[in-house]
Amino acid sequence: MKTRFVIPEGRLKDPSIRLLKRLGVDVPLPSGRELVVETEDYIFFFAKPFDVPVYVEHGIDLGIAGSDVVEERNCDLFIPLELPFGRCRLSVIMPGDHVVKVEEMDGFRIATKYPNIASRYFAGKGLDVEIMKLHGTVELAPKTRIAEALVDIVDTGRTLRANGLVEVEKIMDVSAMLLVNRIAQKTRFTMINELVMRMKQLLKEGTS
Amino acid sequence: MKVKKDLFSQSRILARASKHIRDVFDLWGYEEIFLPAVEEYSEQLRDGLKITYNNAFYLVKPDITSQIVVNLKNGEPRRLCYISEVLKDGINGRWQAGAEFIGGSDMQMVLEILSLIITLLERLGIENFYIDIGSIMVWENALKDVSEYREEVFLALKRRNFGVIEELDIPDQKKEELWYLFNFRGRKSPCNRLNEIVENLNDERVFIDFGTIRFYPYYEDIVFEVYSSNVGHPLGGGGSYRVGSMKACGFAMNLEVIAGLARLTDEDGRIILKGKSWSAYEQARKLVMEKKKVRVI
Repeated sequence: MKTRFVIPEGRLKDPSIRLLKRLGVDVPLPSGRELVVETEDYIFFFAKPFDVPVYVEHGIDLGIAGSDVVEERNCDLFIPLELPFGRCRLSVIMPGDHVVKVEEMDGFRIATKYPNIASRYFAGKGLDVEIMKLHGTVELAPKTRIAEALVDIVDTGRTLRANGLVEVEKIMDVSAMLLVNRIAQKTRFTMINELVMRMKQLLKEGTS
Repeated sequence: MKVKKDLFSQSRILARASKHIRDVFDLWGYEEIFLPAVEEYSEQLRDGLKITYNNAFYLVKPDITSQIVVNLKNGEPRRLCYISEVLKDGINGRWQAGAEFIGGSDMQMVLEILSLIITLLERLGIENFYIDIGSIMVWENALKDVSEYREEVFLALKRRNFGVIEELDIPDQKKEELWYLFNFRGRKSPCNRLNEIVENLNDERVFIDFGTIRFYPYYEDIVFEVYSSNVGHPLGGGGSYRVGSMKACGFAMNLEVIAGLARLTDEDGRIILKGKSWSAYEQARKLVMEKKKVRVI
């Protein structure tokens, strides 16, 4: 039976493929619009980063996704390893000319791709905010005045500076994670444990 | 319950499986319990949809085991079963079929509940399944001398991420002991209680897996999870807990998952009554009284 592995599209795709290659697992690149590629031992699925945990929860054996997405989706799966790429942070962001402390954001409208994380974060601080789910270009929300602040990924900070935004407070550190389906962990116990151990050893040696 | 694309065909699948499940419950002597849909809020209740009404807090369709724990403090030993919807994550419903054996001896309850599960699945035509048994007490005992790290170790178990344990400031020997438990899966373990369960059940599909932990606060020791390589979700699970002064053991199966896996042969023996007049119903009444299956067309 082939191992089914879901690879995230976007910024985590290349480092994921490189890591697997170092483990001796070659991931052939899909041609054209193909979303599934098979080798002798593996079936690779290429999915949107936000959907990776959902695929793994529902039966795909393994996958790689950012911890932000894993936290947002809150899926029932195993997360045996943190991977040394895709590092950034999820933060509260505001326009540079209207900065206030997070504690003063009661009643604010917050635009984000992460409504669950944002809701939990502000509720945890006892703040009643309105969460507005957007699917991308969240930076536009304060510019168009549809939201006073946003919750989004901060990497180098260049996008923020280019749009006159500043990071007000970090919510969580983000990095890529290896995900394992709970049932696959049991039914393919030896194979998955060996893969995790080899990956772990590789990361320890710093050759990722 | 979420609106299905075809609610009626989904309902037919659930009803068909439920009929067989109720029959198995009855054969084992379990009495069906009908619990209220709305319970006054209690910290002991799990899941359910939180609502407020007349300045009081309530839970709609909470987890059934916790509902039984809240309602049945003491009393006679009981064998209870149910088929009910539980609300999880807000309005998302999940149909469950479960049973609770309350007031028996530890070994008797675990063996009976696991035997009930095995017969229930086999009755539904599901042969390809496994049951992994774990023990919370095994972990509690292993953590006695490093109890300050209990939360971190259980987080590591939940995520199956041993890295969390590796980073703890505990002796290497303890880490090795935890690593052994973390990865143990087999049919004979250092835990005699679990060995005894596996030996007495005498079913090749039952394993000891210390990594199997269920994160409901009422479970005291034995926990188990039922799964199949044919589906990516657990079929169900359960464990041992306490109701007032009595010990108990129970399980809940995901009805939608097991009904989807069920391989039931077409019902035969149904008598089809045809007739231009309504007199067919007179004949049907007689046949139903004789416990025969009928359909008037």
